[in-house]
Parts: sequence; structure tokens; C-alpha cells
Amino acid sequence: MKYIILIFESIHKVMKAEQILAANKIKYDIIPTPKEFSSDCGISVRIDSSVEDIEIIKSVLLKNNLNFQIHNKK
Amino acid sequence: MKTVDAKGKLCPVPIIMTKKAINEMKENESLKILIDNETSVKNVTRFLEENGMKVSTKKEGNVYELMVNKTGSIPESVNAEDYCSVDNIQITNYVVAIQRNRLGDGAEELGTILIKGFINTLPEVSLKPKTIVFLNSGIFLALKDSPVLESLKKLEQMGVEILACGTCLDFYKKKEELGVGNISNMYDILEKLSKAGNVIYP
Repeated sequence: MKYIILIFESIHKVMKAEQILAANKIKYDIIPTPKEFSSDCGISVRIDSSVEDIEIIKSVLLKNNLNFQIHNKK
Repeated sequence: MKTVDAKGKLCPVPIIMTKKAINEMKENESLKILIDNETSVKNVTRFLEENGMKVSTKKEGNVYELMVNKTGSIPESVNAEDYCSVDNIQITNYVVAIQRNRLGDGAEELGTILIKGFINTLPEVSLKPKTIVFLNSGIFLALKDSPVLESLKKLEQMGVEILACGTCLDFYKKKEELGVGNISNMYDILEKLSKAGNVIYP
């Protein structure tokens, strides 16, 4: 499975992102930020990129003024 | 000749030690790696072969000796953990007792997100708990609509026992909705907790 990891600036942004993803019926997991991606926020969002459309996710999050970094992970 | 003694070490440590040694050596110098479990032998061999090196192995008693000649170096970007195979699962003698559907005290919405992070970490760590027990509102995390159901199922497949308090499922009228593990009672749960090496209450 291929995953993307979305890293946000703060836990509040992660919570906001959760609401938006859930409202858009996008499947996601909450995971601790992988050690290799340092971040101020220890909690990230993981999405299975073989199931979900990353472009749609990007656009719904950006529309809600949420900035994030994207990383790929096996 | 350089020797790496990785006896008693579990993945990814033998690979990290090997990588470090190789990168400190000169071209064509040879390295001996000592390992005492078959999984690590496979993982280290795959790591070296995929990075262009030939490995020969012999077994002396319970110890495997891997011999390799340095041919080329291993880039920093190669991640040792990627070579740990999944059969390297260790079930250890600790129990995780989840007593509510969030982690710690304080803001409820923070606790809700933290417990998801906690449970989703368990399949990733090398030392797995023997048992995970769900009590009181903790049972909501083991229901069919739980946001962490996938991780719990994965843990169950790896051999982690998952128990949900029957009285609690009954109280919240969720007996039919249990998505993972087995329904258990206080005798069983107390026995698991009392026999555990450590109990973690997240």
C-alpha cells in the first residue's frame, strides 16, 4: 500500500482537517508524525493514496485555508 | 577484517550496524557479521544484496556468520527499517488497558485524537503487547465503526489478543457492534492484568 502523510503546523489544524476529511467522506488515519519528517506537531494524517484521490484532498483542505506538507510513505 | 557483533539485536539494529561498518570500510575490505536469529540473517542479506554486495553465510552452533566484501557504498538515504521483514514480530509480556475512548485527562477533542495516534502506532512498533483490553467507554474503539479498527485488526492478525469488557458492551448496548477481538469478563481481564509484565493505561 502507498500512503501519503499530511503534516500540519499544529494539532488544531489537524483537528480541523479531520472534520473536513470526515465531512467529505475521505478515509484517513491519525498517526504520530513519522520520525523521519520532523515537525512541530507530533500528530499527522495518513491517507491511502491507492484509495483516495490526492488532488481532491489537496483542494478541499486548501479551500479551507489549511496549509500542510505532503510526504510519501510506503 | 572488521567484525560486527549483532547477536541479541533485533531489526533494524543489525542492519544499521552493518550499514555503518560498511561505510567506514575501504573498498574490497571484508566484513564479518555475527547474528543469532534467522530473520535478521535474511534481512541483513537482503539489505546487502540489494545494495550490490555478495554475501556468504555459515552457521556455527547458534550463531550465523555472514561474510561480505565491500563493493561500493550504501547511500545515506537507504532506510534500514525498510529491510525489516514482517515476520520479525515480537509479542512481549505487556498489556494495554484502554479505559475510555480518549487518551489522558484534559481537553476531550485532544484526547480523542491522541488515542487514535496511540493505537495506530502499536502496529508499527516492534514490541507488541500480549493483550489489549477495552473497558468502559474504551469499548467504542473496538466497534465496527471505530476509526482505529484497521489497526486493531492488523494487531490481532499479528497475534495480539484483543478483549472487550462484556458488561461494558452490554451497558452501552453495543454487543452486536464489536468489530474486533472477543467479549470477555472481569475474571479473564483481571487475570490478564495480573499476569502482565507491565500494564499501560493510556
